[in-house]
Amino acid sequence: MKIAHKLLAGLVVVPCLALTACGGGGGDGTNQATAKAPDAKSWQQDIKGGPIEVGVLPAVGTPSLKFMEDIAAGIEKDHAGADLKPTFANTKARPALEQRWRAGDGLDVDYTMFDGTNPALLEWADSGALLDLKPYLDQVDTSTGKPWLDQFSPAVMQFMEHPATKKIYGVPSELSLQVLFYNAGLFKKHNITPPATWDDLTKAADGLKAAGVDPIAVTGLFEPYMGMWSDNIWLRTVGYDKAHDILTEGKGNITDDPGFLKGLQMLQDLRDRKGFLKGFEGTDFTAAQAQFFQGKAGMILMGSWLVSEMADVIPKDFELGVLQFPTVAGGTGDQASMLAAAQLMSVSAKSENIPLSLEWIRRVTSVETQTRRANEIGEVSGVKGVASPPGLPGISDVVAKADRLQASYYGLMESKAKDIVYPEIAKLLFGKQDAQQALDNLDRGLRRVHGN
Amino acid sequence: MLKAAQRRIIIPFLIPALALLGIFFLYPLIKTVDLSLNEFSRTGTMRFVGIDQYRLLTGDPAFFNSLKNTFLLTLIGSGMLFPPAMAIAWALSQRIHGERFFRFVVFAPVVLSVAVVSLMWKFLYHPTLGLINPTLESMGLGALAKIWLGDPSTALAAVTFVSVWHGIGIWIVLLCAGFERLPTDVLQAARIDGAGEWRVFWSIMLPMMLDLMRMLAILWVVQSLQTFAFVYIMTGGGPFGSTDTVGTLMYRVAFDQADFGYAAAIGVVLVVVMLTVAKLLNKVMKRDDLQY
Repeated sequence: MKIAHKLLAGLVVVPCLALTACGGGGGDGTNQATAKAPDAKSWQQDIKGGPIEVGVLPAVGTPSLKFMEDIAAGIEKDHAGADLKPTFANTKARPALEQRWRAGDGLDVDYTMFDGTNPALLEWADSGALLDLKPYLDQVDTSTGKPWLDQFSPAVMQFMEHPATKKIYGVPSELSLQVLFYNAGLFKKHNITPPATWDDLTKAADGLKAAGVDPIAVTGLFEPYMGMWSDNIWLRTVGYDKAHDILTEGKGNITDDPGFLKGLQMLQDLRDRKGFLKGFEGTDFTAAQAQFFQGKAGMILMGSWLVSEMADVIPKDFELGVLQFPTVAGGTGDQASMLAAAQLMSVSAKSENIPLSLEWIRRVTSVETQTRRANEIGEVSGVKGVASPPGLPGISDVVAKADRLQASYYGLMESKAKDIVYPEIAKLLFGKQDAQQALDNLDRGLRRVHGN
Repeated sequence: MLKAAQRRIIIPFLIPALALLGIFFLYPLIKTVDLSLNEFSRTGTMRFVGIDQYRLLTGDPAFFNSLKNTFLLTLIGSGMLFPPAMAIAWALSQRIHGERFFRFVVFAPVVLSVAVVSLMWKFLYHPTLGLINPTLESMGLGALAKIWLGDPSTALAAVTFVSVWHGIGIWIVLLCAGFERLPTDVLQAARIDGAGEWRVFWSIMLPMMLDLMRMLAILWVVQSLQTFAFVYIMTGGGPFGSTDTVGTLMYRVAFDQADFGYAAAIGVVLVVVMLTVAKLLNKVMKRDDLQY
């Protein structure tokens, strides 16, 4: 290489190496000074104008987003100079938003930053990126005469509270419950009993099939939604704590508890009865949900957001029924609990306007707002005294019967084990393996991922 | 040979290009290597772990599965892309009626966004509500109907087809330019000597375009080894990893699992693989320069 060429190469490479060396590492979400938290007793007097960015879950153009924008407009009207910018903060936006948090530029109020039941989501709180809300929640709300914290359902406290420090890092704007929806009109027409037990479910599936209707709508293009079936079955046959420990934490092996194999065999039986929508393997979840509301399938296991999400395609005369996931006779797991997620809003400890951020979460979680959201949008509330959405008939009974809400997906979504568990369940549902093979593959994969 | 004065004047002209290369290619590359030597937490704190991430990679079946799928996609895609692109480019290089219209039709998908194309084809592929299976069934070809995106044996090919359908216009334009560069006197001479059009194409046009084909092949390999968006939107890597590519795996590891170090290691290996394959292709397909 000639000297000139070496010089030229050096001209490019050396500055790059220098930049890399000086570039430092990734941020840790704490590379900006934490803002001074306002006094818990007088924060409402400290609310001042200014811009804040608040995460919202509904997509652009939906009535649900309009609802949130109206709340923001109300705050802007009440507090001169307040400027609340709603930012889409749902699943697809999470990577970019989390990257902003890592760079020390997180939203003032954001979702999915904390979940007391998911060890992978405690890190933000532990790193000091989130504001401890407990001092504020402990204050008496002048409008109710009780501490703000008292308005939340005890069932959601486990999601809000850090299991070790007992600090609170999120308040729920809504609850997402995994429930079994069924086409009540179709069930009545064909004289089929809504399933309360697994045996009822298989009978209902056979009845629907005999009536020429595919029993259960499910998507084959999004594995975690197929995994809702195994998650719920294992809740009944194994129990939440044990299933969570083995699947997500790697404490023990999947072969330790016969309930796992039993659950897989039940799923195989449902598959062999042709229990799932024809062509579900290539059906997107939106299409699967639409087919349920078009009467092409009798049931669908989905989050309680289904009704608000599909509001535009639900026929006016559609009779919807909502059930808790069927119990399993002889199952050694939790027969009365249900899988759920609380959509928690967390406040950034670095927010330049913490009082305004607190005001946003206070308004969103107020009984008045939550009642309107339930009635107009169909969201299930985590706030006490809020009636169930009229679009979800029977949801109150379902929640009342649940002795405990357990975290959806067992916290697998943030774990490497997700890539082991849900693909194997998909293979089972697709008929590519039987229950025993699925168990063997799960065992191999989980041992590798968890190193046990 | 360049004189010293000429060399001196070249350097200032090279500096902007070198600066851009440094900022947008070399710096990110070096930074990625740096990241790959660390372990990250969800909040972004990192810890130096040396080559541990690479060691993990060598025993990760998900990585090898994604690498296999990526190469398969490249191979299947080249079969789907080059023969029709060549045929269409050849046809468009003939004096045909409505040539501009056909050029527009062929190029039109290129201007659509990947997201739009992916969603559109996702619905077209739908097993019962889509367009393809009902059409096949109505033509009496129901046996050919498949669950295109839901069957591991067809999903990768189905996604590859959409990627090719979307981008084929660009390749046709490049090939058309190649056909138009061919010296008409050589082609005429062959025809006067009695060569048919197939013979002219096979024995004269194709050899004269080998350099272009080499470049296009390398471009295709580099592009398809980076495939991400079509797979991410249409199948998310499923069913059960049968369409998972290195790009989608890297994204999932980085953003779902917040494991940036491991994702960076995957990225570094991908760069090495791409450079090696490009170099090999360049070497294998290299021919003596043909002056015309």
